[in-house]
Amino acid sequence: MHKLANSCAIVGMGRTICKKGDPDKKSPLQLIAEAAAIAMKEAGIKRSQVGALFTARTPRAYMTLQFNQSLLNELKLAPMFSSEITAHGAGALGAIELAVSLLDSGLIDYALCATGEASPLWIEMVEGSANWEADLQFEAPYGPTTPSIYALFAQRYMHEYGIPPEQMAKVAVENRLWALDHPHAAMRKKGPITVDDVLSSKMIASPLRLLDCAPWFPGGIASAAVITRADVARSTCEKPTYIAGFGQSSLHEWIGERMGLTGIEPAMHAPNLLRTGASVAAKQAYQMAGVSPKDVDIAETSAPFTFANLLMLEEFGFCGVGEGGSFVASGGVDYNGGLPFNTTGGYLSFGQSGQGLYLLKEVVDQIHGRAEGRPVPNVKLGLVHGHGGPLACHSVMLVSGEPVQ
Amino acid sequence: MSNEMGTGKAMDWSRGVVLRAGEKSLGLYQPSPETTGYWQGVDRHELLLKECRDCAALHHPRRIVCSECQSTNLAWKRASGEGVVYTFSEVHRTAGAFGVSVPYVVGIVRLAEGVHLFSRIIPTATRKVAIDVPVSVDFRVLEEGYLLPVFVVREN
Repeated sequence: MHKLANSCAIVGMGRTICKKGDPDKKSPLQLIAEAAAIAMKEAGIKRSQVGALFTARTPRAYMTLQFNQSLLNELKLAPMFSSEITAHGAGALGAIELAVSLLDSGLIDYALCATGEASPLWIEMVEGSANWEADLQFEAPYGPTTPSIYALFAQRYMHEYGIPPEQMAKVAVENRLWALDHPHAAMRKKGPITVDDVLSSKMIASPLRLLDCAPWFPGGIASAAVITRADVARSTCEKPTYIAGFGQSSLHEWIGERMGLTGIEPAMHAPNLLRTGASVAAKQAYQMAGVSPKDVDIAETSAPFTFANLLMLEEFGFCGVGEGGSFVASGGVDYNGGLPFNTTGGYLSFGQSGQGLYLLKEVVDQIHGRAEGRPVPNVKLGLVHGHGGPLACHSVMLVSGEPVQ
Repeated sequence: MSNEMGTGKAMDWSRGVVLRAGEKSLGLYQPSPETTGYWQGVDRHELLLKECRDCAALHHPRRIVCSECQSTNLAWKRASGEGVVYTFSEVHRTAGAFGVSVPYVVGIVRLAEGVHLFSRIIPTATRKVAIDVPVSVDFRVLEEGYLLPVFVVREN
């Protein structure tokens, strides 16, 4: 067990949502500032106690340099550290991970980490997305789309491990069942789906069909967390959530160059597309906490395509390399009886909101028995994953209701 | 390219050399000093890679620093233009100018030299795009009007 295991705890979380069609349409800054205010109130701290303010990347619909400064200005904070932590969708958890290191050093007593997106409310997503994911000189002129960039991983994944589309589709079916129980899930009202529904949905970017792809969350979501050292948490917070372990790994910026990476994990001996930083981050997290995958009671991943869920189950160690398909097919993440996995409905059925700590909030809520959707009994240890840059940057965090032993 | 103040004329980053690929310059990110040679090669219908003059390692055309030996002594080296499909996707839903061509195939090609490039991959009447299928470079003007290296499936 690493000295940082259990060293810090989450003592306040806030989450705000604005859906398409709501009469009060909100900007990303509004949503994030409001989430931060809720988190600070729950933690019972004053503005003067915030020693670090970390945001993840600037919301797409609120492009300003140094978004952290916009938020700091709004909340009238004066922290020792103020910064954006930008590793695509891994940056949100990455902000908390850096905060833990700072808190443990004793330089600060409280950190506020806040992030969010509201792009579907404000900008045309389909037109713009690929230009965020592709190299504008060497890739964008060829016409890639975001699904097609993920599809390059998917095609290789199916080829190398013989994963049939039915096994990929199964994870969408199970995710959908969780979404039916969640009041905010994008696909809640669409009802359950079958493997055949996925396989007969229209082709988007082979091998990915419509129901292999996550929809955008129909609106904006912001979330914020206040973190402090465990000793402070124990004396000030009735139900702290301990940060048991974490890890992070960033590998590339553009998929066309991913195969130019070798001599470093997870491509130590040869370049490969399929072993991602998630395996590196998960291993770091387990080692820090002194636990193994079998100790995990609930897992939330940021995988926005069916195959990526299978791949992440491998990367997190819930099954062996190349076994993601058979693991899912044999009931490994079944709504009834499997590992509770993507309990909001996941990106596939809750909807994707770019980045955020709302998956972390789901695990924290499940641990303390206050989930908005279907409750999972007896959650002691949860795993949260954030990633972005088409499988380029990954953060994994393990959290628990009591310090892990 | 930035606008030279007062004149309204576009200035490029390499002392007057016009940086273009095809009929138009390349989108938001213009060719920059470390990549202009690549696009000049494209104009001549040559596919260029970066080669380390110190350790002979070959790299993606973007490289500034050799990842094998950290040398900055990199120079252009013409590639054979032969390779195989490493992975691919047939795009059925797209946006902008690309809509006229759906379905089209994007993918990653593993060149004979061992370097991987993102590109457009073009099937023939008798052979579809698939992993490990051999491909050869060609130069075509794609939907947005840029002349680009693409890879065409080889029949044999």
